[in-house]
Amino acid sequence: MSVTLTVNGEERTFDGDLRLPLADMLRDQLRLTGTKTVCREGFCGACTVHVDGEPMVSCLIPMGTLAGRSVVTIEGVAGGGAQMNAVQRTLLEHDVVQCGMCFPGMVMTLSACLEKNHAPTREALKAELSGNICRCTGYERILDAVLSISGQEGAVK
Amino acid sequence: MDITTGSTFLSPDTIQQAVSVLRDLDGAGVPLAGATWISRAATRCETPPGTYVSLAGIASLHEIHIDARQVSIGSLATHAGIAEALTGCKDLQALAMAAGMSATPAIRRVATIGGNICTTAFAPADLVPPLLVLDAEVEIQGSGGTAILPVAEFMSQRRDRAPSDLVCRIIIPRPARRSAHARLTLRKAGEYPVAHVSIAVATDALDRIAEAAIAVGSVEATARRWPALEAAIVGLAPDPAEMKQVAVAHLKDFTGRDAVDAPGWYRERVLPGLVARAFQALADSEGGAS
Repeated sequence: MSVTLTVNGEERTFDGDLRLPLADMLRDQLRLTGTKTVCREGFCGACTVHVDGEPMVSCLIPMGTLAGRSVVTIEGVAGGGAQMNAVQRTLLEHDVVQCGMCFPGMVMTLSACLEKNHAPTREALKAELSGNICRCTGYERILDAVLSISGQEGAVK
Repeated sequence: MDITTGSTFLSPDTIQQAVSVLRDLDGAGVPLAGATWISRAATRCETPPGTYVSLAGIASLHEIHIDARQVSIGSLATHAGIAEALTGCKDLQALAMAAGMSATPAIRRVATIGGNICTTAFAPADLVPPLLVLDAEVEIQGSGGTAILPVAEFMSQRRDRAPSDLVCRIIIPRPARRSAHARLTLRKAGEYPVAHVSIAVATDALDRIAEAAIAVGSVEATARRWPALEAAIVGLAPDPAEMKQVAVAHLKDFTGRDAVDAPGWYRERVLPGLVARAFQALADSEGGAS
């Protein structure tokens, strides 16, 4: 058996063990290593990707459930061949990144959040980020950086 | 259905196909809902079942139907989907709150109500206490036909049911009542609850409690109702402070479980405060949507 899905806009066919978590396929077979596997239990959020536009933890999604679905990883989140989206740029400009392990997941969560709500409150951002754990505990500066682009037209482009 | 002999991942298209496959596998396969629990098996050095029988392709299991008489929730409805669908239904607020506060946003988009009530080793299952106070019933389809039983009965016998028995939907009646939920975690979010409490009450013309249902989860191995407290608060005003005092007098009804996140005595001791918080949430919802 195999499944065909889209990863960062490209059609991919997977014919391995369909119980394999998406995170492992992304990292080990497609070499998309921006998706980090840390806790592997869904608690930390470092492996967050977009599945059909929604942030989900890829460590808990078996490949067999992904037939026909669209997956976007940190490597493809800017879209259109761009190097970074607005969330990535503001995190860079505000010098927020510390060790970087959590950041791919943070970016995926925040990008989807701003896509739906261009002007989230600080509390709304905190709620969205409750599943993304930063071991460097840089949360407030992350929020400051994202709020600096909140409300801007096309905030995540 | 695409089935390859010896495959470790099957995707039936109908409930009947799923029941048939599970019967044939005779315990060597497991129904796969949101996969959030089973996917942790390798990390926890547990042996995963040989074959996943994914239910995701069965459309009816994802559906939520709400009318004035009852609510029907397919077993693959996600926590996020339930929280959104039930927003504003005051009688069902306990379930909406529990579904909207569980785990993390990313998990809530995937985790299902069926998985939540079927995972036997999951003491803190978020949706069980609200289902208990809302008198929910579980519809099961299996080799022997269809059965509908109260959620408490299902919880007590779920380990012993046939491997081909499939939880298909949850049915919740809608009598005149209000409900709420309170949850304690060590961090504000993203954790299993140390303890959680759901309440559902009907009040009389003087705003005294005429009927009450209270359920406690995560304190013992399986969530259950608190009948002594339910009886003790009938006739009282639903005042959070008074409810807390009454709950203190009935704490001996529980024997808290020790686990890495909290000792048993702590789970017991926080219950009166959670009862008060649940009644406060009930009071706070006054004046909102009906």
